[in-house]
Amino acid sequence: MNRSPLAARVGMAAFLAVAAAFFLLPLYVMLVTSLKPLDELRAGALFAWPLAPTLAPWRTAWSEACTGVACEGVRAGFMNSLAIAVPSTLLAVGLGALNGYALALWRVRGANWLFGLLMVGAFVPGQVMLYPLVRALGTLGLVGSLPGIVLVHVVFSMPLMTLLFRNWYASLPTELFNAARIDGAGFWGVWTRVLLPMSAPMLGVAAIMQVTGVWNDYLLGLVFAGHDFAPMTVQLNNLINTSTGTRQYNVDMAATLLTSLVPLVVYFGSGRWFVRGITAGALKG
Amino acid sequence: MPTARAARSGSWPARLALLPLALTAVVAYLGSILWSLRVSFSASRTFPSDSWVGAAQYLRLFANERWLLSLQNLAVYGVLFVLACLLLGFLLALLIDRQVAGEGVLRAVFLYPYAMSFIASGAVWAWMLNPIQGVEAVGHALGWEAFRFDWIVDPDRVIYAIVIAAVWQAAGLVMALLLAGLRSVDADLWRAARIDGIPTWRIYVSIVIPQLGYSFATAAILLLTAVIKLYDAVVAMTQGGPGTASEVPAKFIMDHLYGRANIALASAASVMLLLTAIALVSPFLYARSRAAARGA
Amino acid sequence: MGRASKTTASLLVGLFAGMPIAMPAPPPNTGPAPHAEVLHWWTAGGEAAAVRSLAEAYRDAGGVWSDTAIAGAEQARAVAISRIAGGNPPTAVLFNTSRQFHDLVEQGLLDTVDDVARRNDWERLLPPAILDVVRIRGHYYAAPVNIHMPTWIWYSKAAFTRAGIAQEPRSFEELFAALDRLRAAGLVPLAHGGQPWQDNLVFRAVLANLGGRELYLQVLRDRDARAIHSDAFRRVLLTFKRLHSYVDKGSPGRNWNDATAMLVTARAGVQIMGDWVKAEFATAHQAAGRDYGCIAGFGEHAPYVIQGDAFVFPHSRDPQTVRAQQLLATVVTAPATQLAFSIRKGSIPVRADVDPSSLDLCSQMAVALLRDRSRQLPNDEVFLTPDQNGAMADVLTNYWNRDVPVEQVQQKLVAALAD
Repeated sequence: MNRSPLAARVGMAAFLAVAAAFFLLPLYVMLVTSLKPLDELRAGALFAWPLAPTLAPWRTAWSEACTGVACEGVRAGFMNSLAIAVPSTLLAVGLGALNGYALALWRVRGANWLFGLLMVGAFVPGQVMLYPLVRALGTLGLVGSLPGIVLVHVVFSMPLMTLLFRNWYASLPTELFNAARIDGAGFWGVWTRVLLPMSAPMLGVAAIMQVTGVWNDYLLGLVFAGHDFAPMTVQLNNLINTSTGTRQYNVDMAATLLTSLVPLVVYFGSGRWFVRGITAGALKG
Repeated sequence: MPTARAARSGSWPARLALLPLALTAVVAYLGSILWSLRVSFSASRTFPSDSWVGAAQYLRLFANERWLLSLQNLAVYGVLFVLACLLLGFLLALLIDRQVAGEGVLRAVFLYPYAMSFIASGAVWAWMLNPIQGVEAVGHALGWEAFRFDWIVDPDRVIYAIVIAAVWQAAGLVMALLLAGLRSVDADLWRAARIDGIPTWRIYVSIVIPQLGYSFATAAILLLTAVIKLYDAVVAMTQGGPGTASEVPAKFIMDHLYGRANIALASAASVMLLLTAIALVSPFLYARSRAAARGA
Repeated sequence: MGRASKTTASLLVGLFAGMPIAMPAPPPNTGPAPHAEVLHWWTAGGEAAAVRSLAEAYRDAGGVWSDTAIAGAEQARAVAISRIAGGNPPTAVLFNTSRQFHDLVEQGLLDTVDDVARRNDWERLLPPAILDVVRIRGHYYAAPVNIHMPTWIWYSKAAFTRAGIAQEPRSFEELFAALDRLRAAGLVPLAHGGQPWQDNLVFRAVLANLGGRELYLQVLRDRDARAIHSDAFRRVLLTFKRLHSYVDKGSPGRNWNDATAMLVTARAGVQIMGDWVKAEFATAHQAAGRDYGCIAGFGEHAPYVIQGDAFVFPHSRDPQTVRAQQLLATVVTAPATQLAFSIRKGSIPVRADVDPSSLDLCSQMAVALLRDRSRQLPNDEVFLTPDQNGAMADVLTNYWNRDVPVEQVQQKLVAALAD
């Protein structure tokens, strides 16, 4: 760096500003579109600020927009998404932590093979497993039920959750483990009394990833949740991706933002925590 | 380490704890793989049938232009997406690390796209990239008549348009991972290098970046898992078009599984995708077991 | 949708409600009311209004309608197949009147509605193109709701006036002349949504109108390689490709209704699309004959391509479910329901005995055309398996979007349509 520090700093700031603009542009378009009345949309000025801003599209999207016979907006899906996301997150994170602990610190015959199989699963698109899982869940009578969709989410998230915690536990100093063993703690004792309390940063990261992953899922919710538990994304897709009908893009964008609200709040609210958790866990293997 | 490990082997609570994992891996993952394998050798249509047609579906698959195009797209997309995310993510992490002000805001700005699914953001990207209503139209409105930005409607360039949107979504995660990595570089190293009068860029190139190896590897693996799964972005932005120009394997499988009622061909495609995944995972697992062996 | 036509529709529902053949008597007080969960992809605009009229008719007949709407026909079918395969099927599922549900029949996964069909004399009332699909080996497996004509040619009267086009085109030469004048006037000549299914729809319009009935059947029904290699078919392909030179740059990926909006605002002149576009014009308060024109086809004997929607009924051992299915089949095929539905959907009733006078101008034209059975042509999906149909669609959409020599397209079509 032969330039003066000032020039370098201005350059860096400029680059960050341009990058920030690029990242914010889609959010900006969504926001202004959701505030425009329908006749302003026809004008086609995508990036223009609304001339007569209105909140009506938001109201419509939340509680009035129709999909088929029902006109309830995306509101109904909100509770469904919540009902799916909470147990899916608790179960998946808990199991992931347990798996990671057992894999990283205990030796079980065949565990490496199981882990390898699971890692292949991490790379495979869900579409590949969709049909066989439908049949399997069908024999258990779980298609279209809350336990069914939760089970599917746990299965699909297990590779990533296990990997995260396996790395985390492997990165902890071995002395902790050995000391606890010498004190006479068994498999469960070491985990619940010594290691789990120290896992808060990783539990945070895993929960953030899982909540947003489950909340944003469309395909699994569509196929496995059935009529009574259709998540918010399915309703969103019904609104924005209709094959026919007059498209109200302002309502679409309001519905999009409403559906993304939970993951956005989670990320904006916990960004610092997220980075810290990653620092602590994902970097050592 | 080895002695400690030995003392821990053969514990039945550990086996019990791994039971859900074993069930998932064997029943869900291995089961699906075997099921797909079986169906891929049949003439099944909407539902699985017991017929046996040998490798006919595979022959058909590799004579199918749309499938071959989807593989080519995946390769182009995979290379560009991973490299662009790593480069942009690294630059952002580097600048955020050196910039004193606004870190919290910038981090959130770069990370938020990762919280949104393409079901939500795909439509907006399709608008912005569309030449009639998006960025190109704005250029024209500002008087720059010769401005062209029409990749999304160009069959030969549409995959680059998908890459742009996908990088927007994932670069923030790489930034977070690498920022974490940068922060964990020993401060003493910096001090020592400064005292020796080494220029800043040399410190990065010869000292810091080599230390980030593991962060880069983690980021690359996360990105690679997203590559094979590429589906939402394509469906939401182009539905595979223009024509079939932005077709990808996951969409090919989905279309044949349901819309085209040909689960045999879809399963053959699934098996090929599984083999790709195994090919990608094996070196990573191998490297791990080697590293573990060396550590022991 | 005008207030007047809605009133007419409800009046008619009321009128027919008393007719024994049209509506079953309210169910006797045995057990609870029949409950039907209906899975469909009619999610917005005119469609939603149309399906609401079905739900109301079902309620009036004593049933309980539980609505499962999923946007996108492909997604809806994916859910339907998954739920049937997973042992949790809905009471009724929407399909196009096509071979899409024939695998379900073969697996014994659907129930028949033979009694309803016999009682209402479907054999006499349904056009053969529909009958051939819903009746398999003498059993009725689907209750047809309506008939769509996918290959209408629509034009904006304002755009035609601005381009100085005085007369409706009556042949492809005249159509191309009109498109040239539209372009000269600075308008988008052909409003087209560049999605594979829309590209294919334009192809079928050219095949039916330029190729004619015989060639249409030779190619799509007989999958005759000689016909595909013929000069006549080559001309069809070249004409199809020539239409592509009249679309605008923003066409790829565009939704069909965004293309219709270009006609509504007179930014574009012509759109080739199914009769569901009328719901879009109606929403913009535009009327057939006044603001826009509809051309069913070129010439006296232009074929009328028949596409339709139908409900199928996944097999159930529960007598209550079966009762709900039978009632649904009766209600959706009753004349009053059919009329009320089609007025909103833009389609025409599937029965030949419905009075069309309350339908719009284009639909009345359609009903009249349809009386001539020699003009009826089944849609391609009636002849082809979904797989063949998809393979053909891939070839055609690539031809539309890229520069492919026409001979190569002919060869690829032969391969795509092979078994």
